[in-house]
Amino acid sequence: MAARGEQGRRITETARETLGQSVRGLGAYHMNACVKCGLCAETCHIYQAEPEPANHPGVKASKVIDHYRRYHTFLGKYLPGLVGARDLSPDALDQLVDVVYGRCTACGRCSLHCSIGLDIAAVIRAGRNVLAAVGKVPEGLQRTVDNQIETGNQMAITEEELKSTAEWLAGDLRLEMDDDGVEIPIGAKGRRVLYLVNPREVKFFPLSLMAAAGVFHAAGERWTIPSKFYDVTNYGFYSGDDPAARELTRRVIEEAESLGVEEIILSECGHGFRSFRWEGPNWMEQEYPVRMRSVLEILEEYIDSGRVKVDPEKNADRVTLHDPCNLVRWGGISEPQRRVLKKVVADFVEMTPNRKDSYCCGGGGGMLSMSEYGERRVMSGKIKAEQIRATGAKIVATPCHNCADQLIEISKKYQLGVEIQAVVELVYNALA
Amino acid sequence: MGVSSLVLDPVKVLVGLAVLWAVVALAYQVLAAWGGGRADYSRRAGSAARGVAFSFTVAMTPRHKESVRRHPAKFAIGVVMHVGVILSLLGVLLLLVWPAAAHKVLSLSRPVIALSLVAGLYLLVRRAVSKDLRAMSAPDDYMAILATCVLLALASVYSSYSVGAVVCMIYAALLFVYLPLGKLRHAVFCFVARGDLGRRLGRRGTYPSATGRMV
Repeated sequence: MAARGEQGRRITETARETLGQSVRGLGAYHMNACVKCGLCAETCHIYQAEPEPANHPGVKASKVIDHYRRYHTFLGKYLPGLVGARDLSPDALDQLVDVVYGRCTACGRCSLHCSIGLDIAAVIRAGRNVLAAVGKVPEGLQRTVDNQIETGNQMAITEEELKSTAEWLAGDLRLEMDDDGVEIPIGAKGRRVLYLVNPREVKFFPLSLMAAAGVFHAAGERWTIPSKFYDVTNYGFYSGDDPAARELTRRVIEEAESLGVEEIILSECGHGFRSFRWEGPNWMEQEYPVRMRSVLEILEEYIDSGRVKVDPEKNADRVTLHDPCNLVRWGGISEPQRRVLKKVVADFVEMTPNRKDSYCCGGGGGMLSMSEYGERRVMSGKIKAEQIRATGAKIVATPCHNCADQLIEISKKYQLGVEIQAVVELVYNALA
Repeated sequence: MGVSSLVLDPVKVLVGLAVLWAVVALAYQVLAAWGGGRADYSRRAGSAARGVAFSFTVAMTPRHKESVRRHPAKFAIGVVMHVGVILSLLGVLLLLVWPAAAHKVLSLSRPVIALSLVAGLYLLVRRAVSKDLRAMSAPDDYMAILATCVLLALASVYSSYSVGAVVCMIYAALLFVYLPLGKLRHAVFCFVARGDLGRRLGRRGTYPSATGRMV
């Protein structure tokens, strides 16, 4: 019993220390600002699907803030009952797991629509920081982080497997493009562009990797995929494990430097873009030595400059666009994909609401790797399904593989009958 | 010199000290929350200043703020309550330095303050009956509304009677003492939080945004 008590005390101490570090800087402003007006309820896709108090963004935020109050406010320290302040006890931490991992994708839609301007997603992520520090990340999500740290990519794909897939895809491309010069270079030195891919493209969605290679070739780009650290995802960001997230970022930047590239291009991945582009430099506490952009930005550049010619009639079906939260709301990339799609498809229609106001599809926040929340995840896609159905589109383009996985499930569950495609696939299909 | 002046002077000192406490305590809390801050090493894509400006203006309009768009009546009730609180506190602060102006402000704004009191009582009842709000509320959340309702009640009945002024000011002093301790400190933190959100979204190019669609 004494050992368990000691262990509990250590967990509480670690959690308390991590919470303090996590909110240092501007995060603590958000911990003190909530007026609990409750007006954020319907901004949340999970609450919309299941309107109960546990899914209310204000309730979820308060579960984290209650712990902050306990250690960082006067009344929380001396009259905790008055302000609802709670100890970071092992039991309380166990309860927090369902709140911050199971009922929130940290999509941050509530943050932008909060009557105060409270960044609820940042509050939730502080909760994830705490739980990651005390080893309470859900098993599936933790396993994905471990895979990335141990093998270099989330799916534990070996370098040989990557190379053989690349050779196979390049062979197919040579036939399709009727050009013997097509290549998918791995670990080539002296190239201009380093292209990071989602390991899911290598394993399950080779068409999007093939399409990117086809477009790079058509544009005459000098590019390569890193041989070891090519994973555009960063599950440390999702789990709240900042040291792991920092390590994953550091490896990619070092590989880019060793290969001597001019810029890193991130394939279509919402949280990957946010992690590398915006959070990575702060995890590493330094500016990157190379430029970094989304593939959407370079696709637009290729089309605008005439480096690739496209014919929108080759994509004749109606296409709509899903905005990944971390790419658009928290990444600032909302227009390049629209300008590209308007040039490569014949019939483009927007969902409503869209851009920064878009609803999360339900697949963010690491939800796809936590099977225990699978039913809730698919259910939470209900409002996105309604949005898609209202467009009458046959194809949903989305620049994110997590979103793509979730949208495929939503399409089946709600019988939407739509096809999910990456933007680069539509560009490749439109090559003139 | 009347009795009221003799009583009011120490009361003014009390209110002055309470205001000073509130200002110092809130400033300390904001600085402590900042904790020296963190440098942002990411290369900016937009303007932090434009993001902050957008956050405090366009982003607060119903077109861009769904919470307002979906709940216009509840939002308006909240605004009415806050207007009354601001007018009441303005009156109390004016009593310290310019009693004639304070009397005018409190007299002229009495209907608004009375309406604010009704709004405050509505918000208190709503918090008690809504299962969503109950789930996120602690005693302090009820106490904060009740405390401001009492201020509104005192300010709405205050007239030229000196006893009323004294009671109102002593109560305001207590409220200023409570202000940095409980929920009421959102009066300062809401501005800082909104500014911080605007700054970050501005750097990333999300703010300002020309879009914003009705659901």
